[in-house]
This record gives sequence, C-alpha cells and structure tokens, in this order.
Amino acid sequence: MKNKYLIGGFIIVVFLGLMGYLFTQTNVAYENNFAEIKHTDKTIKATGAWVKSKGYDIDNEKNLFSFYMIDNQGVELKVVYKGAIPNNFESSTSVVVTGKYKNGYFIASDILTKCPSKYEEQYTEDTASNI
Amino acid sequence: MFGNIAITAGLIFSMFTIIMYYFSFKGYNNTLKYARLGYHSMTIFVIIASALLMHAILTHQYEYKYVFNYSNAELPTGLLMSTFYAGQEGSFMLWLLFTSIVGLVLLEYTSKREDLEPRVMMIFTLAAAFLLLMVSPMLKNPFSFIWADPTFVEIKHLNQSFLSMSFLQNFIFQDPGSGQSFVRLSPEFMGTLSANGIAFEDFLIKGKGLNPLLQNFWMQIHPPILFVGFSMATVPFAFAFAALLKNEYRDWVKQALPWVLSGTMVLGLAIMLGGYWAYGVLGWGGYWGWDPVENSSLVPWIVGVASVHTLLIQKKTQAKGGTGRFGKTNLILAIMTYLLVLYSTFLTRSGILGDASVHSFAEPGMLVYWLLILFVGFFTLLGIGGIIYRWKYLEMHFNYEEDLLSRELALFTGAIALIASALIITVGTSAPIFGTSVEISFYNELNLPIAIIIGVLNGFSLLLKWKQTKGESILKNSKFAIISTLTATLLMIVLGGLYDFMLILLALSVNFTIFVNAEIAYKIWKGKKNYIGAYIAHIGFAVFLLGALASGSFAKDEQLDLAKGESAEVFGHSLTFLGYTPIENGTKYAFNIEVDKNGSKNIVSPVMYIAEFNNSLMREPDIWNRLTDDFYISPVGYEDGSSRSSDAGQSIMMRKGETKQFNGLSITFDSFNFPPEAMAAMQSGGDFYIGAKMTVSDGNRTVNLEPKLQNKNGQRSFVPDMIDDMNLKVNLENLDASGNVQVIFSTLDETTKTVLAPKEVLTIEASIKPFINLVWAGVLIVVLGFSIAAVRRTKESRA
Repeated sequence: MKNKYLIGGFIIVVFLGLMGYLFTQTNVAYENNFAEIKHTDKTIKATGAWVKSKGYDIDNEKNLFSFYMIDNQGVELKVVYKGAIPNNFESSTSVVVTGKYKNGYFIASDILTKCPSKYEEQYTEDTASNI
Repeated sequence: MFGNIAITAGLIFSMFTIIMYYFSFKGYNNTLKYARLGYHSMTIFVIIASALLMHAILTHQYEYKYVFNYSNAELPTGLLMSTFYAGQEGSFMLWLLFTSIVGLVLLEYTSKREDLEPRVMMIFTLAAAFLLLMVSPMLKNPFSFIWADPTFVEIKHLNQSFLSMSFLQNFIFQDPGSGQSFVRLSPEFMGTLSANGIAFEDFLIKGKGLNPLLQNFWMQIHPPILFVGFSMATVPFAFAFAALLKNEYRDWVKQALPWVLSGTMVLGLAIMLGGYWAYGVLGWGGYWGWDPVENSSLVPWIVGVASVHTLLIQKKTQAKGGTGRFGKTNLILAIMTYLLVLYSTFLTRSGILGDASVHSFAEPGMLVYWLLILFVGFFTLLGIGGIIYRWKYLEMHFNYEEDLLSRELALFTGAIALIASALIITVGTSAPIFGTSVEISFYNELNLPIAIIIGVLNGFSLLLKWKQTKGESILKNSKFAIISTLTATLLMIVLGGLYDFMLILLALSVNFTIFVNAEIAYKIWKGKKNYIGAYIAHIGFAVFLLGALASGSFAKDEQLDLAKGESAEVFGHSLTFLGYTPIENGTKYAFNIEVDKNGSKNIVSPVMYIAEFNNSLMREPDIWNRLTDDFYISPVGYEDGSSRSSDAGQSIMMRKGETKQFNGLSITFDSFNFPPEAMAAMQSGGDFYIGAKMTVSDGNRTVNLEPKLQNKNGQRSFVPDMIDDMNLKVNLENLDASGNVQVIFSTLDETTKTVLAPKEVLTIEASIKPFINLVWAGVLIVVLGFSIAAVRRTKESRA
C-alpha cells in the first residue's frame, strides 16, 4: 500500500519536474516594448503593428520577407523572415513575430497576423473625424 | 425581433424544465410530464430561433449586425449557410441547437432507464440554459440590430444612389489614416432615414462577406461536427453528476458508455477534419500546428479516450457484483471531459489568448467575459464540489489493490499516460494567460515518450488477463506479436532509414500495438464480430501514429523558382510551370505546374488570388495525392517580370560607419551633419536641416553626398541627394538619434529596370509528405472502431 503511493508519487514528481524544465526551456515571452527587445538575445514574441507606409520587401533569391513593425511607444523594428509573405498580411491589424534580435534586425521564425475580419469594427469617435 | 422572443422563451422554458426535473428528482410524481413538456418547448424555441437566423442569412437581412458582418449575396448557398456559425454569436447558437437536439435523444434514452431521467436531464438542461443565456439579448446575441450600438459602415456597402442626399452628410465620417469614408449608423440615424422615406434594406445592400480562408468545403462540415462533439461531451458530465446525486455508482457506467464512445468518436472525427482543412486548403503545410484552438478540442478528446478505458474496467469488474473499480477516477474523468470543453471555450472565446492563436476570437466585451468565467466556474464547482461532497463515501467504497500483472492496472496506467498528455497540452495552451507561451517542441518532446508508453501498454494490456496473469502465459501469447514487431521495425530501420533512437522506440511500440491487436481482431472476426470495435480503434490509432511518424520526420521541403516553360528538378520530380489560368469567373488564378515523376505525369495547380474581402494575397496549395506519399506544392509568389518589391522600394537601415553595396558601388554612412545652430533652431521651432554624410566609391574615385532632413516653415521633409555620373540616388527615409539612418538606394534611370525582358517566374515551396495517408486512414479506422463499440455498448446498456 505504502509502496504504491511512493512509486506513484515519485513518477508524478519526475513527470512534473520534466514538464517544468521543458516549460522553462521552450518558454517564449510576449513583448510589446521594442526598446526592450533590442537589449536581449532571448527568443521573443514581439507584438506590434506593421508600418504600412514603409511597405515590405520580398527577396525571392534569398527567400526573405522583411518589413517594419512599430510598438505603442512608436519604436520601430525591422523584421526579417525567412519565407513567404503570410496570407492576410496586407490587411493585418496587428502582427506577432517570434524570433530574436540580432545585428539590428529581428530575425523571425514565425509570423502571425491578426486580421480585422474576426474583429468588430474598431472605428470610434476618436479615430474618425467628421468632414 | 422574433428571434429574440424565441431565445427568451427558450430561456424561460429551460429554467422551468430544470425546476420541474428537480421536483421529479425529489419524488413528486406529477411534475415529470411538465419537465418533458418544458424541455420540448425549449428545444422548439431554439430551433425556431436558429431557423430565423438562417432565414435572415439566406434573405440577406443586413439590419442584423451578424448577417452584415459575415455574409453577402455573392456567396454560394452552401457557404452562405455556413456563415451561420462564422462568428461568435452564431457558433454559440449552433452549439445550443445541437445541445438541444442531443438532449432530445438523451431524454428518450434516459426515460427508458429507471429513475435516470430527472437527475440527468436536470443537469443537462442547465448546460443548455447557460448557452441560451450566452446568446440572449445584451450578450452574444445574433439578432441585435446593426444600429443598436453606433456602428461605422464603409460607404462601399451602401446603395450609392443615396450617398448624395443632403441629410446623409451629417453622418459621414472619414478615417484620416486610411482615407476611407464611413456612415455612422445609430438609432438617431435610423430615425432620419425613415423620416426621408428610405427603407433600411434598400440603403445597406452589401454584406461584408465571409473571410476567404473559410470559403471552402471544410468550413461546411468541420465546425458543425465539432459542435456535435462538444454537445455530446455534456452527457458524461450529466451522468456522473446524476450518480453523485443518487449516491449510487454502479449503473451509470454502462449507461454512460455508449455516449462517451459516440461523443469521443464525433469529436475525434471533427478534429481530423480540421487537420485536413489546415493541410489541404489553408496551406499550413501540415495537419497539426499545436495551435491553442486545435489543442483545446484535442484535450477533451484525450480525456474522453482515457475515460472510455477506465469505464470499461469498472464495468468489467462489476460482473461479480458491487460497483466495480476506479469509481472515483471515472467520475472525475467524466466531469473533466465537459469542464475541459468549457475551459477551451473560455480560452478561445474570451479573447484571453489574444495574440497567441490564428483563430482565436476577438475580445467579446466584459459582460461576456464574466459570463464565460461564470459558466466554467459554475460547472467546475458543481462537478468538483459534488465529488468532494461524496468523497468520504467514495473513499470507503472504492479501494482496491491490483495485481501488478493485471489488465486492470495496465489499462489504468494507460489512462494515466493519456491524462499526462492532456495535462501537458493544457499547460502549454494556457501559458498565454500568464503572458508567455511555449514553443512547439514543448508539445512534441513531451508527447513522444508518452506515445511510446501508450503503444507498449496498449499491446501489453491485451496480452494480460483480467485480475492476474502468469508470467509464462504472456510470453506464450505474445510470440507472434513480438517476432512480427521486431521484423517490421527492422525493415523500417533498414529500408526506411529510421535512425533516431526515440523514433525507433516509437516504431517498436506502434508495431507492437498493431500486431497484438491484429492477432486478436483476427480471432474475434471468426467469433463475436461486434466485440471487434476496440481492436479496430487501437489499430487505427497505431496506424495514425505511424503516419505522424513518417510524415513528420521524413517530410522534405524546398523553395524554388519556376520560370515559365523551363523545367526544374526537385526530389526526383521534374517541374514545369505552364502558365496560369483564371478560374471561378476570373476571381482566382490557378498556376499550372506539370509534375513528372519517372514518366508518370500530373498537373498540380496551386491557386493565388487577391481577396476583395481583406485586400490580401491568398494562396491555396495543391497536392498530388499518391498512395505512399503526397507531393505538396504551396505557391509563394509570382513575378511577371516588371518589379520585385512593393512601392516603398528597398529601404535599408545603416549604422554610423556601415558600408553597403549597391549597383557596384560601396556606400558608407560616415556621420550626421548636425550644425550647432540647427540645435537652437530645433528648440525654437525655426528652420534647420540635419544631413547624413556619406561617401560613395566605385573603386576608382570617392565622392561625398549628403541627403538631408529639412525643417522649413514648420514643415519637415527629406531631401534626396544624387550623383549623376555614378547613376545613384539616395533617398533619406528616416534618421534617429542613436546613429541610424534609413535610406533607399536607386538608380537615376529607373526606367532601365522595366526595359528588361519580362520573365514570368513562379516561386513555390515543394514538399514530399511520405505516408501522410496513414494519418487520415488511421483516424477513420479509429472512428470505425468507436462506432462498432458504441453500437455494442448501447445494446448492453439496456441489460
């Protein structure tokens, strides 16, 4: 009887320990302050908006897609992604990129775009002006 | 209007039903017929409300915000009908509709089984009542009018002939960011509109339409089946709680089993269809991305599967009288299955995942947020509270010791392994609540050993006998399975090139499962055929794992450019881009690629188009399905030869001292030219300029140039600089105090670029997915196995 709980308890402790360890190893934090991102070499999920006025750039030879993102404080970040421009990119209201900051660029391994289709209309009295 | 009356009536009837069932449970004789009447009335009103919503969608009644937001007249009927559940409101409505209908079957089922009906239906109706509350007016109501809350509608949705009318001008707004014009709809506006004798249906004439990602066949079947699965997950909870109410834990097991089996089957099928959708149409490249929304339907499924196994043990051990083993576990698992469905609803509907998921919904508003919390919290309190309340009794009556070599213990261990997997996925999925997230490797690395353990236990448990087994008999019984397993795995290593240690272990365990189950299934096939369900499901699961192993570890992909008419080689395939053809009335373009593999040819046509809905480039992959592998082509981009980048050009950032190459020139950014008087002028708001000093060298000579930021009469502008005889123009885009500049280099004679002979180039990503068919086949075999088992257990539940 006692053995059963001992073994069971041991397995649970090992399992939770393993899970906790991997959790910290694979953990990716969200960051919406780009000034912070430039000071760390950890993998980060940066959230912000695409700077539409600066467009984007597609380098077909190197298979790179790059664009600028801006955070709430107005800090910009150049994002370089190895791969194709994601579906829905042009209409995205916000962008989440996963990756690391290196040599002046944010090297993204994943881009997630949030499109307004799933959102209620976000225009409010403040953003729209009467003509 | 009528929709809201129906929903409100349904809500009232649901309350009435709960109360009447409660009285019946307390022993009143005459209340049961009222309860049934109440439940049927509730269902009728839910069906009426759903029919009204469907009617509003089919007849394009854009006065309903929901209809306006998700549909338009251009959609074909099938897709138009699927907009019923394209948004939050409608998908709650669909869930409610299915819950009500499942409840009708449940009512019929429980009414034939002793005193089960009041206890089960009371709880079940409570779940329906919460869903009714969710879609009721004020909350996620699909019948709210578009003008109820002031809403900005883009001009393009309106009847253009009214736009010039003078009264309208007071309601037109412009978004300074995008330059788009909107009309602000409000109750006040409606008054003005009708005062001018314009009917609203003539005014707002075009709906927003459905997101193009959802416009395909799978949208029409995946969500409904998923919601049937969600609805059926309520049933085990109701059964378990009914057992707790009566404090009697024997009969609910056989009564709940067919429901658990069929519910798990439906949910599993729905998850697979979602996976196929992602793979075949959305172009994710795979069928599973550990996305929170996928995960949150997978977790209840895993717990459901675990509970099937422990319920079976309890039922088996009841044969000799008593309530059987694992009574506590079964109660907990049955309750958890539904709680996890609710938790997943909370995660995906509350907006809490926010940035973490591709398809999480937007924030629904505080009221709905708290109702979701109340929904989850209430049922958690009910379920867990019920178990705690009965814990002492349960503890006294359910305590057994298992022999180490018994099928009971092996099955139980298997269930524990499944729950461990569910726990891992839940932890990973919930991470965004705490402002963090996990990488996909978290799921893969932790679930791989669990899959290995489950495979071994699956085969092993079937070799064991109930209660206890002698060591020799296991060896004797497993001879065929062990030899076949070793042979098959060896073949995979030698022929398939499987070298990873963990994956070899997985292959061993999966093969073991297949051979043990196949041997038993073969024997059963000659005897009691309806007992074969479990073994078929096991084989299906193992086949699925083999498919996941092969397609996951041996997939290859490569991006390549295909010039029109020229052929390129990739993975032993010769690809020739033949050109594109417009499809679907010219709204989309199919890019036809001839694929030649050792003489067998096929045309693969991935699709790209600009969707009007979101003004975005959409891409759809195409697949050459073959028995042993898929040749998968995702379109990446298409160049007709004229330009290569977006309007803004190649904007480059340079740090102080950095050198860049352009067109055979080396360009170095030396320093800022920031004269002291500029500083003073900047503070006083006067005119000034800041220059970016650069040196350009073509190898022979070095020239200076200086594009500037200029402030003149309060207007800021950038002044480009150029060197004529080096054919260079430098546009300054931005500069910041940390010492960086943003510049665009271009040649002076931009026109020379377009003079180049246009060459049509299609960029694609080609990949080979070996044995991906095993993934689909595996799940379908599991579904088949579950169906056979559900039929058998339904028959037994009457005994």
